[in-house]
Amino acid sequence: MLIFSIETWRITLFSISVGLAATLLILPFGIALAWLFARKEWPLKSVLETIVLLPLVMPPVSTGLILLKIFGRRSPLGQWLYERGIEIVFNWKGVLIAMSVMSFPLLVRSVRTSFAEVNLRLEQIAATLGASPLRIFFVITIPLAYKGIVAGALLAFSRALGEFGATILLAGNIPGETQTLSLAIYNFVQLGKDPEAYTLLAITVALAFVFVWCSEWLVRTGRKT
Amino acid sequence: MLLRCRIPLAHFELDIEVSFDARLASIFGPSGSGKTTLLDAIAGLRNITTGEIEIDGRTLFSSARGINRPPQERGVGYVPQEGALFPHLSVRKNILFGAGRSTGTSYARDIGVEHVLSVLEIGGLLDRPVTKLSGGETQRVALARAILSQPRLLLLDEPLASLDLGLRERILPYLARVRDEFKIPMIYVTHNLTEVLTLADWVLMIKQGQLITQGIPREALRSSHAILEIPEEQFENVFTVSLVDSDAEAGRSKVRLQSGEELFIPYLSRPGSDTIQIRISADDILVAIKRPEGISAGNVLPGTVRRIDAINGQAMVTVAAGDEFYARLTASAVKRLGLQEETPVFLIMKTRSFRSL
Repeated sequence: MLIFSIETWRITLFSISVGLAATLLILPFGIALAWLFARKEWPLKSVLETIVLLPLVMPPVSTGLILLKIFGRRSPLGQWLYERGIEIVFNWKGVLIAMSVMSFPLLVRSVRTSFAEVNLRLEQIAATLGASPLRIFFVITIPLAYKGIVAGALLAFSRALGEFGATILLAGNIPGETQTLSLAIYNFVQLGKDPEAYTLLAITVALAFVFVWCSEWLVRTGRKT
Repeated sequence: MLLRCRIPLAHFELDIEVSFDARLASIFGPSGSGKTTLLDAIAGLRNITTGEIEIDGRTLFSSARGINRPPQERGVGYVPQEGALFPHLSVRKNILFGAGRSTGTSYARDIGVEHVLSVLEIGGLLDRPVTKLSGGETQRVALARAILSQPRLLLLDEPLASLDLGLRERILPYLARVRDEFKIPMIYVTHNLTEVLTLADWVLMIKQGQLITQGIPREALRSSHAILEIPEEQFENVFTVSLVDSDAEAGRSKVRLQSGEELFIPYLSRPGSDTIQIRISADDILVAIKRPEGISAGNVLPGTVRRIDAINGQAMVTVAAGDEFYARLTASAVKRLGLQEETPVFLIMKTRSFRSL
């Protein structure tokens, strides 16, 4: 039996909102970096590529611990932010950072592939027609790669919703404050509240299915151009 | 216009200097001889390490002086082989893509959109998605797009290569009209001799990045170096003629060469004063030393041998019969007939061996 209480909806809404915010936050950086990876060469490029991909393969808890060390109040950055009234750790901002960092590699990988599939000749011809690099990027490259970009954003968003390990280290598992879908499921199971856990489980399965399905469809149809 | 290029290619450094007057220079050579590389370098799409490119005294690239203008500032229009239309934009947006160029350059001739549309006959395609265009339409739209960016030089990379023969002959006249209407100097890359002889008033023959010969096409291409490089089926005579009359029942039309000589070609249903181009393969012209009688061929022209270029068992015989004709014979035929310069001969050409463009 599923229980769609106010609490389950609130948890769902919180997860979706922060996940969405994380996706929007990383989108411009992800697109810029993916474009650089797809179109430019520089020394030690592969080192940067590897670093960006690390959160994809590292244990999320390890990534979370690194983030905690970076943003914790005892670190220079954490200290600097704290003095300006910004605290990342153990509140929703920590969730946002954890989700962003964990989804970033998926976004970059997906967008990079779609940039690489845009025929370079079209960009070159646009240049001979007088288009500035910026105009080429926004009028040729982005529209031709947009399906891959949307697919990448969807994938990143799904990954953000599923985030657990890094979130719990950086933001904790505070009901009503940092508790995401994944954290709440874990919590309910621990407390023996199976109906609540299964309700959230059903929601995550439904969301994941829709996102992955849309993402795959976009990638498939995007290849044609 | 003067184009000077010194560009390192895979095996050789290509060093060319072409001076041509607001018309069309053709780069002729087999695939893989570095033609596209050359165009890319001129347009600024390929990074080259050494060399120099100069148009009309304006340096586009010079490794020695550290000049490398970006493609946006070169004023070079480029029509690549596959057309490279932007697939997500309509025909209209493709054509107008470069029309807003505001580089403040004085070379812009202000070519009007309507003018280009009418010359290329693409006014009816404007609202179509480019994915719904045929091969010939794609090439014409790509050409219009490049012209409307008001370039000072237009590069065409085998624009007809991807089209089948019939379509190629229908698009060729459009290229001739572009050449005559807009007065933009053009560099036209091709491996098709007919296109060279039909369109170009200067030809650069390159092979593996090396310049073999250059000059006025009809003269440059009969040199013995050139003959070896031209594919068998491609050595052709191309003439600009005026239509005298047409007889549907007889199945032939009479045309007049610029020298005044008259020829019969297969029936053409075109209005009287039309100027057309006709061609005949150098392999389809027979040479006789006596006037033949009782033969079916509709054209027998008296003439005089001007030149014989012999190489590897074949000979290109240039005969002045009003205009100059090229006939390709075997070395044995030249010997048997005792042909040499100033030998009076008769050229025999079947009416049906002529094709018109």
